[in-house]
Amino acid sequence: MENILEKIAYCTEFGKINKVSPYPPDMKGQDGVDELTKLALEQGVSPNDILTKGFVLGMERVGKKFSENKVFVPQMLISAKAMTTGMAHLKPFFTSGEVKRKGKFIIGTVAGDLHDIGKNLVAMMVEGSGWEVIDLGVDVNSDKFIQNIKNSNATAVALSALLTTTMVNMEKIVKEIRGQVPEIKICVGGAPVNQEFCAKIGADHYSPDPQGLVEYLNRLVA
Amino acid sequence: MALKQNMSDWAADLINSKERAAIPIMTHPGIEMIGKHVIDAVTDGTTHFEAIKAIASQYPTSAATIIMDLTVESEAFGCRINFGEHEVPSVMERLVHDFETVSNLKIPDMNSGRIQEYLKASRLAAENIADRPVFGGCIGPFSLAGRLFDMTEIMTAAIIEPETITLLLEKCTKLLLQYVLEMKKTGVNGIIIAEPAAGLLDETLCEEFSSKYVKLIVDATQDENFMVVLHNCGNTGHLTQSMVNTGAAGLHFGNRIDMLKVLQEVPSNILVMGNLDPVGVFKMSDAGQIKTITSNLLKATREYSNFVISSGCDTPPGVSQANVDAFFEAVNDFNYNNITSKQLTY
Ligand code: B12
Repeated sequence: MENILEKIAYCTEFGKINKVSPYPPDMKGQDGVDELTKLALEQGVSPNDILTKGFVLGMERVGKKFSENKVFVPQMLISAKAMTTGMAHLKPFFTSGEVKRKGKFIIGTVAGDLHDIGKNLVAMMVEGSGWEVIDLGVDVNSDKFIQNIKNSNATAVALSALLTTTMVNMEKIVKEIRGQVPEIKICVGGAPVNQEFCAKIGADHYSPDPQGLVEYLNRLVA
Repeated sequence: MALKQNMSDWAADLINSKERAAIPIMTHPGIEMIGKHVIDAVTDGTTHFEAIKAIASQYPTSAATIIMDLTVESEAFGCRINFGEHEVPSVMERLVHDFETVSNLKIPDMNSGRIQEYLKASRLAAENIADRPVFGGCIGPFSLAGRLFDMTEIMTAAIIEPETITLLLEKCTKLLLQYVLEMKKTGVNGIIIAEPAAGLLDETLCEEFSSKYVKLIVDATQDENFMVVLHNCGNTGHLTQSMVNTGAAGLHFGNRIDMLKVLQEVPSNILVMGNLDPVGVFKMSDAGQIKTITSNLLKATREYSNFVISSGCDTPPGVSQANVDAFFEAVNDFNYNNITSKQLTY
């Protein structure tokens, strides 16, 4: 049983989605996260273990390598894709409540900004660590953030910005969210953002990469 | 009459000159100088040219450049584009998503979308700006493919569906080749190929999915009278060699890279351009800060004669003239001091 969970973690880490995927080349023809997750469920492995000892572990490992510049955006995204493929098999257990997610997390790229690769990566990493993610896309204004926070009862919301000009919009958005939903944790990130700016605009958390955010979110529900 | 310029000589002159050349990628302040809006310039070649001309008349740039509009080629392929009055246009949604849709994708002709307007702007600039070279512009093959396939999706598709992405890149390259050749006919002296998305790849993937195709364009178009400058603002240092491998005679870098490291790595006969933050510095700083930041970069790169100071990307709409003035003042002061101090040592 441990063995299949380790296999799922390994396939997640190296981005082996399913049997037909040609990547990584040295695993050609072997089962991927897709097949292994199905098999694990058939063998009676608990969905919760699949999530935490399979997907979460695999994503953690690749996330660490990404933070250390050992792998790049495509490798990160492919791991996330593998994880999402496996996660689809766990959907029924989420719905039935048998597997509990850690909470709800909302993310969007702020108004005026259309860069979404980093935001997508963050969303996938957070999902891969056991959270339910609501992705609002790009060019998101305060109203849309607030409306979704209210409708979803989310624990945390994250704002991404890649432009120095749209980073400035974060201040207004943070203020408006605070005014309407004071209890929500607000996280900010993206290349031009830093800790000092985060503190200045009154957001709760900044980290330079998804790994730091995941650790913060997990502390919130620990 | 277009300036007939041997671009190898031009580059050699820049390298041998005691003065540091400045070629910011900058058209938007020109649009504002002539009292027009972004939407006017990106949809009308004559207005676009007038903006280029306004910059050339006002500022001592060593070459004129056109708008880095990364939607022209995608629109030609059929993407829906969002135009804002004061914003650079953007692609609204992906056009293709698998092998079949890519196979069915037709390579557009030169009458599609706004291609003719961009050729017109280039032609008018080449004909009317005779005191310095004019560079046209286009998107790079991988970034174009990313716009058609979705930027995030292409990053993984390159690995798991290489046949699909290779076919797409072949089509993108065909269009770009045709476009650059047409651009060359307008009389411009070179082209800046903007390949930002390739910056997110690792070296092996960049070589296979970007540089290889850029090289095809370089080989087919670059000659004594036509220079290719490859811009990659996504490169954080890991792709410099891959950029050199394309054979482009000029390389242009974004603000996320260490310019000194680049200058140490790139052969001294290749022009190296960069890399002041177009938004953080040009748009958001005040004139005093710009002067300091510009002059710091000039001092740090003093030893490298192939360096050309530039913005790290197209300077966006809304940059004040005072800030552009401050940039050129810093360049001017540096050149003046440099020459006087050199003379003093004789
Ligand atoms: C790809 C790209 C584009 C693509 C975007 C495609 C897409 N769908 O996203 C295109 C070509 C469309 C584009 C357009 C533009 N771009 Co652009 N682009 C880039 C580029 C090359 C890479 C960005 C990227 O995706 N990085 C990879 C991801 C993974 O990194 P990331 O986003 O930083 O995210 C990481 C972290 O920041 C963090 N993170 C991100 N969000 C969050 C959120 C939270 C809460 C947390 C905790 C962490 C976090 O986690 C991620 C993983 O580690 C950068 C240059 C660069 N080297 O960064 C320029 C860059 C961002 N662009 C720039 C500019 C100027 C533009 C344009 C204005 C250009 C123009 N004239 O049209 C337009 C703007 C359009 C708009 N309104 O948004 C400038 C910004 C300068 C500045 N200081 O503001 C840059 C820096 C280039 C440069 N050197 O000048 N761009």
